[in-house]
Amino acid sequence: MQDLLDAITTGLQNGDRVDSAIAQSDLPQEDADDFVEMIQALQSALTPQEPREAFAADLRAELKKGESSFLERLRGMPARVHVAAFLAICFGFVLFALRRLFGSETPQEMQEEAVVTPL
Amino acid sequence: MKNPFSSRVDYKALDDTELVALAKEDMDAFGELYERYLQKIYSYVFYRTGNAHDAEDLTAKVFFRALSHIGAYVDKGVPFQAWLYRIAHNLVANWHRDQGRRKIIALDEYVAHSLKSEAPDRLTEEREEQSQLLQAVRRLPEDRQQLLLLKFVEQMSNAEIGAIMGRTEGAIKSLYHRTLLALREEMEMLQNSDLNRSEG
Repeated sequence: MQDLLDAITTGLQNGDRVDSAIAQSDLPQEDADDFVEMIQALQSALTPQEPREAFAADLRAELKKGESSFLERLRGMPARVHVAAFLAICFGFVLFALRRLFGSETPQEMQEEAVVTPL
Repeated sequence: MKNPFSSRVDYKALDDTELVALAKEDMDAFGELYERYLQKIYSYVFYRTGNAHDAEDLTAKVFFRALSHIGAYVDKGVPFQAWLYRIAHNLVANWHRDQGRRKIIALDEYVAHSLKSEAPDRLTEEREEQSQLLQAVRRLPEDRQQLLLLKFVEQMSNAEIGAIMGRTEGAIKSLYHRTLLALREEMEMLQNSDLNRSEG
């Protein structure tokens, strides 16, 4: 059955007659007619679509310049780059928060100062 | 990259494998690949999204993604065409997930456009039939929709479809058989529901 449907589809797409293929099969004529009708309907409904010329030209120009968005470029990078970027952002945020809490000095600088002061 | 889209080399004479090898460093070669596949990718995305606006947006994303990844592309038996369609397929899947819904028949836009030049008396009937068929297609699972689009819109062989979908030719033939059976059921259901509505 699957070979027959494949042959009918290929035949119809090539504009060939498919009667003999159906006649040689065990498929009842009524079912065969249903399938032929459906395949022909698919053929006429699913046709290639042309993009707008302006869209095609704009996209060509953008690709030429390599003007993808930052997010698109980031998405295109490997997972390890995503992880590294995420960690860097987290680290930057923590550093920023610590500086806000302890003034301009980092905890390490404060510790060093604490050690130096008694001398 | 070299001067974009110049014509020092006859890119049209090269096959996809040669172009892809060049496109890793040569924007002109990528430009030729773009010309070869723009319409195909646009058609595929158009039918999967159901409207021209999203089709344009996703088509642009497909080519930008291809451009940014082509340096890492290695031909391991998957042709460039199949690789490009897989990018398109993944982006469309993400789009459907982000939408959180499936547009059932925004394809009316297409049906209206394709039939506007036909005789008025046939127009309504054919428009309804096509609309119903496309509605039934869009109710099928994703892989079956993909198969129908590649077979009918792109007129691809089972081997080419198999390369894109990562299946054997036999598996594609079998999936096509099941798809037609499911489509027939969907059509019957739609026709019955229309009948019930008109009777009610």
